[in-house]
Amino acid sequence: MARKKQKANTATVQVRKLTLREKIWRHRVLILMCMPAIVFFLAFSYAPLPGIWVAFVRYNYRDGIFGSKFIGLDNFEFLATSGKLFQLTRNTILYNLAFILLGNALAVFVAILLNEMRSRWFKKVSQTIMFLPYFISQVLVGVLVFNLLNYDTGFVNGILGKLGLELWKPYSDPNVWTVLLVLIYLWQQTGYNSVVYFAAIMGIDSETIEAARVDGANGFQKIRYIILPSLKPTIVILLLFALGGIVKGNFGLFYNVVGSNPLLYGTTDIIETYVYRCTVTDFNFSTASAVGLYQSIFGFVVVMVVNTIVKKIDPDYSLF
Amino acid sequence: MKKKLLAALLTVTMVAGMTACGGGNAENPAGGSADSGSSTAGGTAEGNSSASSDEIVTITYLTTNDKPDGEKEQRYLEMMEQLNAILEEKANAHLDIYFLSWTDYLSNYNLLLASMDGTVDLVGTATDWLDAWPNAKNGAFLELSEDMLKTYAPKTWESVPAEDWEMCKYNGEIYLMPEDNYAQWTNHGFIYRLDWAKDAGLADGVHSWEDLTTYFQYCSDHKDELGLQYVWDSDATQYGQMGGGWITSHSDYISIDGINSGAMWGGTKDDPYTLYCPYMTDTASLVEYANMMKQWNDMGVWSSDVLNRGTNTNRDDFRVGLVAAEQHHTQTWTDLVSHTEANKIYDTDPDAEVGFFYFGEESKNVVALNITHGAMAVSAGSKNPEKALMVYDLIRNDPDCYKLFNYGIQGVSWDVNEEGLRITPEGYNSDTDNINGVTNYWWGRNDDLEIKDARLNWDAIDKLYAEYDAIKIPYQYGKFVPNVDELRSTIDQINEIYENYMKQISYGQFSGSAEDIVAEFQAALSAAGVDKVTEELQRQLDEVYK
Repeated sequence: MARKKQKANTATVQVRKLTLREKIWRHRVLILMCMPAIVFFLAFSYAPLPGIWVAFVRYNYRDGIFGSKFIGLDNFEFLATSGKLFQLTRNTILYNLAFILLGNALAVFVAILLNEMRSRWFKKVSQTIMFLPYFISQVLVGVLVFNLLNYDTGFVNGILGKLGLELWKPYSDPNVWTVLLVLIYLWQQTGYNSVVYFAAIMGIDSETIEAARVDGANGFQKIRYIILPSLKPTIVILLLFALGGIVKGNFGLFYNVVGSNPLLYGTTDIIETYVYRCTVTDFNFSTASAVGLYQSIFGFVVVMVVNTIVKKIDPDYSLF
Repeated sequence: MKKKLLAALLTVTMVAGMTACGGGNAENPAGGSADSGSSTAGGTAEGNSSASSDEIVTITYLTTNDKPDGEKEQRYLEMMEQLNAILEEKANAHLDIYFLSWTDYLSNYNLLLASMDGTVDLVGTATDWLDAWPNAKNGAFLELSEDMLKTYAPKTWESVPAEDWEMCKYNGEIYLMPEDNYAQWTNHGFIYRLDWAKDAGLADGVHSWEDLTTYFQYCSDHKDELGLQYVWDSDATQYGQMGGGWITSHSDYISIDGINSGAMWGGTKDDPYTLYCPYMTDTASLVEYANMMKQWNDMGVWSSDVLNRGTNTNRDDFRVGLVAAEQHHTQTWTDLVSHTEANKIYDTDPDAEVGFFYFGEESKNVVALNITHGAMAVSAGSKNPEKALMVYDLIRNDPDCYKLFNYGIQGVSWDVNEEGLRITPEGYNSDTDNINGVTNYWWGRNDDLEIKDARLNWDAIDKLYAEYDAIKIPYQYGKFVPNVDELRSTIDQINEIYENYMKQISYGQFSGSAEDIVAEFQAALSAAGVDKVTEELQRQLDEVYK
């Protein structure tokens, strides 16, 4: 950039700002390559934006989103007056924190392990096995978990019973689910998440690693002083992205695994599942959208705050 | 600085865009087509010309059922061909069925109606179990003027008495055509094995909740001998019926339909127009209920993880004797009590008898079915509302159309015996030939045209119906269409609380004492504003009935 500017200053006599058309023409190839992404975001993110209005009206089919009666913030009252806003937001954020932090830590760990594997065959097999759960639908995960853990006919209790041990009753115990849900999430997502980190490791300049080896660095030192620091930008960016969605719960996982068992709601109810239960029967678009907007604004604030903090620490790692 | 600002802006839009995207699935189809809907809905006169035009119009009828396939579809199409020939001759129209599958039917039903893109013309609906009033309010249904009805559905107009039309009005406009000439009972209760109840020492069968406890205790103790998988393989969705059933059995409470799933507001038989919420007042009774259900739970009536049980096959299991009870309504019992092909228990066990304990039996508290438990509406998005009415008038009142649509082709799907009862012909296969189970026409059945099913156990059924007729009172709130828009979120919350606590109470799955859980339940209801709803409903009810 700096070099270009210098060149421009020295080479051109005529100083003139490029018009927009000229700019577009000059970067046409780049723009063309971005087109699919631009179209995607225009169609699915920008075009529906006016629809946010539905959160502020009492929606009725005939009058449509913009014709329905404006009711201000009444739709938002729903969450506030439920008395559950704190519990729901807390659960959602804590689960997501666990998912994001543990998920990324484990993914980095697995990526490094994969990188250290020498046998090509073993590497491929283990990567595939870890990757597969990602493709299992959440509905099936729910069924699997139920068949493993249910009291009367579950696999785990089958073994416990045979061993003469006391049977386990997880579906009546809200506390075990904080651990179980995180485990299930990690089981499902780690293989997929590790791919990004694995790719980043692959991209590390092999000269650096060879130089370190020549200098006598052992395997752990290589990881500690070369691989991990090189992964830092990737980790920070992925974390920042993930934090934007920190108040958005993983509805599929929670709804399918926990189901509608009120005994477990204390520790497993997240914003999505609560809103679903409340609004699904009467098809309340407006309230649901209001909750979505609340989550987005919250997510936006979190991203801005974290980004500012990151920038304070090291400007190179911040998103903007 | 500029770049920073731009970046910040981009982030806002990105994050916000994600919400719009997330909600998009639900809101876009509705939003996008709302305009097209309003244009057709506004003028009811539009399309008048089509009624007289020469072109054959296809009217689509929406019903809740899974789409038939294979040979079943073949039978269905054969029937439709014959029916369409008649419709073509008499109304210059064809009929097609839009099958709305049972999975998440209520959400999909509302979504489909919200789209109003002319996909459906005739809409099977109900004020109690399919959101007829909310949809009428939201503009998904067409107002049916008297002139329209008189002109295009004359037989229906004549056969429905004025007071019944009154119950189909919202804001003075008729939206529904009620199924008001069809005797059916959908009051809930427990279907059980009468022969086993006798073995359990209940010579006369089950007539109270205490008897049920005795019965369940017996079944639970003799589970292996009786060959049971579960005493009752519940999927935890019956919490509301059971809770409501308990209250009906132990008080004179009668409920208003269609406000919320729990039917939590109503009056008493003697004083129907003073509203209250029994879940707030009948504390001692609820505690007793919670204790009994805990006892049932400990007895092992249902599976230990009933709250996560999910879908099950309890009714089919009952037919083959794998479970000892089914919680549903009288209409279901009339099937299970009869020696039909599907009910294998009567083949395998000659002693098998099926009884019904209906909620309200102890207190003689039975309310007749609201006439809008089944009704037909015309979609506001329909391009040919007049034709739709003509077609409905035919399938409701024309004997040939009625029989074809309800029973199928005579000689294939049904026949008549010497006593004038409906029988299944030789070679009949209930899996493929049962047209009644395909068209699901529950929105205008007509006793004048019905032919009694010979397979049903009419001795038992008529006996019970006579018992009902002796104690029944009519539905008391037929003219009352509550407007709860302002209270929507409060009621949503109350629903959620109701489901949470009634599930725990009705399945005895709570830690701590029954007193505690009931008190907690009432406190939560109170905090959510249950009294506010009661007051508002009372105010609106007074406008109608005082």
